[in-house]
Amino acid sequence: MEDKSIFSKLLAIIPGLAVMVGTLYVLRMYVEPWMNEVVVFGSKGWLVKVMSLNYILLSILTGMFYRNVLFAGKIPGWAEDGFRTTRLFIKIGVIMLGSLYTFDKLLKVGGVAIVLIVSFVFGTVIFIMWLGKRLGADRSVTSVMAAACGVCGVSASVATAPGVRAKPVDLAMAIATILGFGIVSMFVSPYIGKALNLSDYQFGAWVGTGILNSGQVLATCLAFNPNFAPGTAVAYGEIWNVVRVISIPFVVFFITAWYWKGEADAEHVSLSTIIASKFPIFVLGFIGMTALSSLHILGAEGSETLHLMRQVMAWVFGIGLVGLGAYIDVREMKAAGGTPLRIGVIAGLVKYVLALIIILAFIPKEGAF
Amino acid sequence: MKILLALDDNPRAVEQALLIARGRGAVLNALFVIDATWEMFTGHDWLSGCNARIGFLEYMLSQEEEAAVLALKTYKEQVAGIAGELLTVTGDVVDEIRKEAGKDYDLLVMSNPFTRGLEIMRDPVAKVARKLPCDLLLVRHAAKREESS
Repeated sequence: MEDKSIFSKLLAIIPGLAVMVGTLYVLRMYVEPWMNEVVVFGSKGWLVKVMSLNYILLSILTGMFYRNVLFAGKIPGWAEDGFRTTRLFIKIGVIMLGSLYTFDKLLKVGGVAIVLIVSFVFGTVIFIMWLGKRLGADRSVTSVMAAACGVCGVSASVATAPGVRAKPVDLAMAIATILGFGIVSMFVSPYIGKALNLSDYQFGAWVGTGILNSGQVLATCLAFNPNFAPGTAVAYGEIWNVVRVISIPFVVFFITAWYWKGEADAEHVSLSTIIASKFPIFVLGFIGMTALSSLHILGAEGSETLHLMRQVMAWVFGIGLVGLGAYIDVREMKAAGGTPLRIGVIAGLVKYVLALIIILAFIPKEGAF
Repeated sequence: MKILLALDDNPRAVEQALLIARGRGAVLNALFVIDATWEMFTGHDWLSGCNARIGFLEYMLSQEEEAAVLALKTYKEQVAGIAGELLTVTGDVVDEIRKEAGKDYDLLVMSNPFTRGLEIMRDPVAKVARKLPCDLLLVRHAAKREESS
């Protein structure tokens, strides 16, 4: 009986998954090569080289097209289970990204990443606490926005919401704001990066620090440079991402403690409980993969194994990003408003621009690996 | 006559539905939908772990249930003397309203904009109105009315 139920669950995944895989196949095999050849403004491949419309951004755009146009705003029942595998694909991709590093490489870049992330995360949180007070925002709204803008966007607001008794309406507005900001920055950042002639290291460090949502950090890095290899934008950006992800429980603890300090019926907040319930376990998979790479179990740079692994990674991310796009409802983003929108736009822009200035001033073009 | 009232936080929609039901001696059923689309709304969040995600969805469900208790309590205080049922279902707000409205109703009364659950972020009135098998009365939302006056 149970086997049948598992079998039918797996069967239910197939239609949506087939759409995601088929879409990526068409994009990678036909659309991107065609766009590389087409001449726009007298320049061959302008759409890919200048606008960064490679298969990564095309995957997200196609996913968004499915959701907003083809599916008229709602993923249909027959495709729902398949599209739900999106999270699994991206998490597998991130775990596999661990193979791009060895521990000695991580140590070289990790110090800079930790300093930048910790300063920006807690700087943003404290700035929003101040801004929320200035704008007369409810403490729960301020808390959710501080987590969302400070650490990892939607994931951080999801982690913080129950602890600060966020109201559904505020949370919906906050998520729409963060997502909207992330989508805009995802399309604008590669263009700015190329215009300013940023190196992969600088670009990865910038978007890893300045973009609010972690999913969009990955996609933006891959839009800037779609290659999976040590020294590419995604290799650097992901180090920043992982440091951010690890900091989630600590930021949630800090914000929750701040929230309850201002409430009459204060509740006890425990760091160990928050770490146990909020720590994203897949980070351990990422570290495990780095360990395998450090022990040369995956082969030396340029080996067949690593080559194959990076090919698989490109497909895994691409499939996941088609699904990610299908979860983006443009109408929901347009409905963003009120205090969460004001806080999100001010804090998001300050963080984005300040991160760029600091990267240009202090981060060299040459990366550590 | 059989009327369906889709409940949200607009007291004017309840007032209007009660007025018509009393005037016509109609049966008035009120429907409160507990929004179960938070999982879909945050579907792009790939990063959260299972515990964080489950904790979040349980919290949102508890918030929805609290809203249901409050709305139903307020409604019960006003509905005395009118025949009808109080229905609470969990699901997609638009789908559930359309499903119930398909059951031999003459009139659906709902607020415009309709602010139940995550529908504040969408356009539920247009979706409900499409090929609706009964008449539809849209009642301007009290808060929006105050804003414009």
